[in-house]
Amino acid sequence: MQRSRWIGAGVLASTLVLTSCSSGPAGVDAKQDPKAPLELWTRTTPGGPGEQGALKLATAFEKKTGYKVKVTAIFDDFETKLQQRAAQKNLPDIVMNDVTQLGAMHSQGLLREIDLDKIKNSGQIIGQGLDSGKAVDGKQYGLPYSAQASALLIRKDWRQKLKLDTPRNWDDFAAMAKAFTTRDPDGDGKNNTAGLAAPLSTKRGYASWYFSNFLWAAGGDFITETGKGSGTYKPASTTKASVEAMQWFRDLGCKAKAIQPGAVTMDTPPTNETFEAGRTGMFVVGPYLLPRFDETLGKDKYEVVPMPKGPKDATVLAEGGSVYLMAGSANQAGQDAFAGFAVSAEGQKTGMEGETGYTVQLPVNKTVDITQVRPDPRWKTYAQAYQDSGRYAPSIPNWTPVRQATADTVNALMADCGLDTGAKLRELDKQLAEILKEQGIAAS
Amino acid sequence: MSLDQAEPAAPPAAGPSPRKPGRRDGGATGLLGRSRRSGRWWTPWLFLAPALILFLYFKFIPMANALTMSFQEVQPYLGNKWVGTDNYATVLQSHGFREAAWHTVVLAAGQTAGSMALGLALALLMEGQSRRLKIVRSAAFLPVVVPLAVVAELWRIMYHPTGDGMLNSLLGMVGVGPSGFINDPDTSMASIMLTGIWRGAPYDMMIILAGLTSVDRGLYEAAKVDGASRWQRVWHVAVPGLRSVFSILFILAAIRGLRVFTEVFLLTNGGPDGSTEVVMTLIYKLGLEQNRLGVGAAGAVLLFVATLILTVVVQLLRRRESK
Repeated sequence: MQRSRWIGAGVLASTLVLTSCSSGPAGVDAKQDPKAPLELWTRTTPGGPGEQGALKLATAFEKKTGYKVKVTAIFDDFETKLQQRAAQKNLPDIVMNDVTQLGAMHSQGLLREIDLDKIKNSGQIIGQGLDSGKAVDGKQYGLPYSAQASALLIRKDWRQKLKLDTPRNWDDFAAMAKAFTTRDPDGDGKNNTAGLAAPLSTKRGYASWYFSNFLWAAGGDFITETGKGSGTYKPASTTKASVEAMQWFRDLGCKAKAIQPGAVTMDTPPTNETFEAGRTGMFVVGPYLLPRFDETLGKDKYEVVPMPKGPKDATVLAEGGSVYLMAGSANQAGQDAFAGFAVSAEGQKTGMEGETGYTVQLPVNKTVDITQVRPDPRWKTYAQAYQDSGRYAPSIPNWTPVRQATADTVNALMADCGLDTGAKLRELDKQLAEILKEQGIAAS
Repeated sequence: MSLDQAEPAAPPAAGPSPRKPGRRDGGATGLLGRSRRSGRWWTPWLFLAPALILFLYFKFIPMANALTMSFQEVQPYLGNKWVGTDNYATVLQSHGFREAAWHTVVLAAGQTAGSMALGLALALLMEGQSRRLKIVRSAAFLPVVVPLAVVAELWRIMYHPTGDGMLNSLLGMVGVGPSGFINDPDTSMASIMLTGIWRGAPYDMMIILAGLTSVDRGLYEAAKVDGASRWQRVWHVAVPGLRSVFSILFILAAIRGLRVFTEVFLLTNGGPDGSTEVVMTLIYKLGLEQNRLGVGAAGAVLLFVATLILTVVVQLLRRRESK
């Protein structure tokens, strides 16, 4: 009996050892095969119009170049699934995901550096967009294929009923939010509306995402570079402007009660629903929701206006999607070709086609004029906001922990109106300092 | 479930400890003795092989990997870097880990006690052979069968924080509220606990019902003859008869409680103001949202150790009691 036990244990132990031995670095240089089909992952709802858009883009690319592409759409837990594939050392060849994921993926070595000389049409990419694909070392790891910025959606019928003008500054904004909350804009005689829709859950750091529109317009910041190009940062959440922005936004929720109830546990889908269902009257959001709201709410029910000017200016969050060329691909030539096609005028126009399945929100190619592809003036509003006031999150090794920590704080301050803003922001500064130190970019 | 599939670090938290005895049982002494006599020592191993291979690949190897990862900075394509106990230090010093651990314990204790109490009450109410009782029992069991994602969405709607929300309109009828439920840091934990109890109680009820059938009916009758009231019969006959059932339920519920993830993730994601952050949501955030898999794995290993200790302690207590 003992002998058999030992044999069993031996087999188990040696298998464990063998398995853990096999987890060494796979290396970036896989054997190349220009005919290998490209696996493309895109962060969009499977079966939805976004997937159709990606398929259309892939088909146009296949026709033009002869490379084969297999598109997989994933929305929920995209990053988790990518991690699983990374653990198996079998990443998809191309990933189309948010610009801000760059640092997280780069720091794990999941990305291949992009040689712009090998990418056709890379000279046509707008500078701001191109910069968003650079890692902290100044090297290019992502190529933007789509850009977006925030603008303000307003329930037009509510605004007209209450005889209000579109807000030009923060006072107007707060007044409108308050009026939408208290003056029964839908006329049903019930106190069931709120001024502003805001996803303030900590999931994926949504609260931080949303608040950055207000923080930056006030001249505040989460972290700030100590000198232009110095590459070192310090926490900035306790500066006067940051504190004032937080206080103003907090008053909107705590004093005016003008943010939808339950916002602190809501991520984007339920927040979108509050706007569609006529529970909220204003929503600061990118252009990707226009097709959805046109269908569910009706094009005539709401309008798109630029964000009102804050204490400093009208800076809004610029975001977008990047094409990432993943490490370990067997077809680097195909990866380069796809990136080149996605940013080309033809690729951009293909991505903008259709009424719902946009892959490209705002074009990143200088030669593409949005008004010609989309005559709808609302798109021009977005394009203008991106060009004049759009600001990307800074390129640091990993933005995700900063976003998570700031989201936690915004969420806390909005959930508990009894908290001391100053103390909570000082706490945040400490956390941010630690994160910066951990990433090796803290100002000494 | 989703995390088990999603995260390589999760299996240790899955705590396979209750299964271990089962695995060992396979090597029955009698069978081995016989096979040694006939010279075929490998026969039992052959029968065990399918299960062992499955466990090996889907439990033990991922567990070993997670353990290794917890000492590394994980960068699959750059090569993992050995960092010693740094990850453990990061987790233990991390903002909110101790708080998350405390929340986990509170939630596990509350849900375990609540589910068992409610489960016992339901079981006592629904004991018997009647056909109608079977229907009621099936109805009561429904929450266990409904997927957790649906349960969470259902409760999110019920917990709507304004006066026209479902639970708040009930509270309004008795002149209380409206409560913020999951949206208020003061009530969020209790709200999640309530959801957990609602889901866990019927499961406990079923096991207690099975246990009740093993209680000798004669004891009830004897107690009745002795003039025991209904409550006394429950307390002095049924409850002691269910002791072993309770200890199994306690272990299962406590492990379930320590690993609580889905309902918290879907209802509050640890918010508002971190008031419902539990160890699993923190591990998820560290490992998968911030891509620090090594740190996440260290958290998972710590949770596994805690679960293991709890299970062993309860087993020891049981053994001492039965002696």
